[in-house]
Amino acid sequence: MAVKIKTQYGTIDITNEVIATVVGGAATDNYGVVGMASKNQIRDNVNDILRRENYARGVVVRQEDNGVAIDVYVIVSYGTKISEVSRNVQSKVKYNLETMLGVTANSVNVIVQGVRVLAD
Amino acid sequence: MKVTEITNLEFGKMVQAASQKLNQNADFINSLNVFPVPDGDTGTNMSLSLQSGAKYERDADTDAVGALATALAKGLLMGARGNSGVILSQIFRGFSRKLADKQTLTAQDLADGFAAGAETAYKAVMKPTEGTILTVVREGAQAGLNAAKESDDVLVVMDAVFEAAKAALAKTPDLLPVLKQVGVVDSGGQGLTFVLEAFNDSLNGRVAEEGDYQPDNAEMDEMIEATHHQSVQGKLDPDSIKYGYCTEIMVRIGRGKQVQHDFDYDTFYKYLADLGDSLLVVNDDEIVKVHVHTEHPGKVIAWGQEFGDLAKVKVDNMRMQQETIMEHDEEAAEAAAPATEEEAPTDTAIIAIAAGDGLATLFKSLGVTHVVNGGQTMNPSTQDIVDAINGSKAKRAIVLPNNKNIFLAAEQAAKVADIPAVIVHSKTVSQGMTAMLGYNPDAELADNQSAMEENLSAVKSGQVTHAIRDTELDGFDIKEGNYMGIVDGTIKVTDADLLKTAVATVKAMLDDDSEIVTIIYGADTTEDVADQLQSAVEDLDDELETEVHSGGQPVYPFLISVE
Repeated sequence: MAVKIKTQYGTIDITNEVIATVVGGAATDNYGVVGMASKNQIRDNVNDILRRENYARGVVVRQEDNGVAIDVYVIVSYGTKISEVSRNVQSKVKYNLETMLGVTANSVNVIVQGVRVLAD
Repeated sequence: MKVTEITNLEFGKMVQAASQKLNQNADFINSLNVFPVPDGDTGTNMSLSLQSGAKYERDADTDAVGALATALAKGLLMGARGNSGVILSQIFRGFSRKLADKQTLTAQDLADGFAAGAETAYKAVMKPTEGTILTVVREGAQAGLNAAKESDDVLVVMDAVFEAAKAALAKTPDLLPVLKQVGVVDSGGQGLTFVLEAFNDSLNGRVAEEGDYQPDNAEMDEMIEATHHQSVQGKLDPDSIKYGYCTEIMVRIGRGKQVQHDFDYDTFYKYLADLGDSLLVVNDDEIVKVHVHTEHPGKVIAWGQEFGDLAKVKVDNMRMQQETIMEHDEEAAEAAAPATEEEAPTDTAIIAIAAGDGLATLFKSLGVTHVVNGGQTMNPSTQDIVDAINGSKAKRAIVLPNNKNIFLAAEQAAKVADIPAVIVHSKTVSQGMTAMLGYNPDAELADNQSAMEENLSAVKSGQVTHAIRDTELDGFDIKEGNYMGIVDGTIKVTDADLLKTAVATVKAMLDDDSEIVTIIYGADTTEDVADQLQSAVEDLDDELETEVHSGGQPVYPFLISVE
């Protein structure tokens, strides 16, 4: 599964892994996000923050007619306004996908999988 | 002049001054906003965040600065909007935690507060981006600490923090390339610098007027947004919008040539209230701002002119907006595969996973409360199922996956759902339907589950579908485009003709105990073909009862169950 862009010279295929990595990068760039979490936290029993190379495990990319639908699983920092941080993730992810890959995200669903209490 | 401590009065003034300053400069900050997303709302967001903080601070019933700072931080947290608003709330969260038990603030306290603020702000981010508000607060705080070593004058420390912040702000384009490209400083950093500047000015007594607090533009906008949000719900059809124009005017009271009345809030409000709904009127001595949904924007404008001249007029056609939104929503809804249907809350939600409108209707006629769109080749995610369970607002839930591939997702969903949920392991749509016959609304969840599971074995499920490629499976040589008949998971027949395949499939399913054959035809199948199949089946054995339904499902031309 991949996003196909047709140009006059041929096609450009962007795999879901690439999209997932861009999404993960965009999400973790956000203030208040401490990391990405596995989407199968319960089954995998992975409670940890994903490493950069595993971002794809915290991102679900679904192909749609005119773009993609994204689910992104994040862990946020305690003491921030989580709803707002999530909203920021949505707009940043959408923006980065459009600017970096030219992919339109019809929806960006943020799933807050955990909250990290940081030592003061 | 030397000041050695900040009292509650001064702190209060500082915060109010900062809030005002941000509010005044919101548009300017917006214009700088190119990072992280150039949507031009940083100023508005920061201003609204700080207004919320200032409100909590103002309402706090205490004279200890530490407690006031805590109230400020709380308000900021509650009202945080946008990235920079969240960061601002973190800065003051650190600030207030450090100083929570202080009655007044010394120069050292102030410096420590900012340092703690910077530290907290950095902690909440995985990859701090330099050249943003973070850089500004860090450098400001560092300068504050340095100054506090030299002096115990609050003014000196505050001044050092502000100057360093200003210098750091000026450097942000060097640290963040996107800023340099556009040729601006960081908007969030600019916002923070305004805050610090206001603190500094306030301490130096440079902010003279205290003035009555007035709802300002940004708050008015927020109120308007809230009203719109409410009014949009339940008015999805553009034709059902009673008042079609969102009208906003700003009138300078008593100015201009057409003034006929002195401004009186009640009179002014009452006339407008008769013109439409969602009315908001905010005024001070000089200006009145109106937002109303009406069919007669002209009357609103004329009414405003009777009290003063028009400073600003904005009229939006909401029906047109709604049409656009709806078109957009429809596209989105078509594109997003697993959509959940809204239903009134019931005690026990029964959630079936099925594709196609007809199947959804069939399931609903059997007592299923929610249908999640999905099935072969389009499995819903755990999240979709969890959403359906939680969204049902019921006390407990039963999930019918109707496909083996969805068992896992459904089981996970049942574990994480907010309400008790069980899975009935229906492998096919036919099984799911038969399972519903075992459902008893008055029974316990576990009893229902076992009763429904028992029913599963009472039915044989057949599916007819076409092969998407040449393959050899279960001893059959299958050609692309041919039809296959599958009975309880194994391929029994294959043929190029749909009807022949279907009849053969039914034949394979029948035994001596068979009584009822249910045929559900799919989206690509016509009723005619289904009727032909029905008569063909009746010819096989005249003891059989047959039922035909339109399922509208993709992929499978026929779903057949035999009981």
